[in-house]
Amino acid sequence: PIEDLFASLNKHIQRSEFQQAVKVADQVLSIAPGDEDAIRCKVVALIKDDNMNEALSTINQKPSVDFSFFKAYCLYRQNKLDEALDSLKNLERNSTTMLLESQILYRCGKMDACMDIYQKLQKSKIDSLEINYVAGLVAAGRGSE
Amino acid sequence: NPIVLDLAYNFIDFPSLENRM
Ligand SMILES: [K+]
Repeated sequence: PIEDLFASLNKHIQRSEFQQAVKVADQVLSIAPGDEDAIRCKVVALIKDDNMNEALSTINQKPSVDFSFFKAYCLYRQNKLDEALDSLKNLERNSTTMLLESQILYRCGKMDACMDIYQKLQKSKIDSLEINYVAGLVAAGRGSE
Repeated sequence: NPIVLDLAYNFIDFPSLENRM
């Protein structure tokens, strides 16, 4: 039954056995093709397994689910920075989407836009954000701040 | 340019499967 498959999927996730998790997610999807939890698990497991190509093709097969954040993240990892920013535009701006946007802008060399976002993120208490903030200051030639 | 940490990665999370098992 599907509950057993989810128990197995959960076990692999807890053990960081991401390839196994993908296999079990596929087993769920063979029984229940639209199962959103299974699709999400598959996409996240592929990302954690560093398999951005497969994650993107899985996302593109399921237009019914909004994977804009995961898609933007995969594209960022592939250095497809304009496409990554496009995917983020589909989403409400919150601290998570702004964090990814700041990393993309940094890679694009758009330091002013990047630093604007860091200013806005100051209150959101994201761990280690100050490391990226300092990197942005240095890259923008404002290291003395 | 200095290396930036990939902090966004920490927000790539599995859904809770609590009520699916
Ligand atoms: K980066």
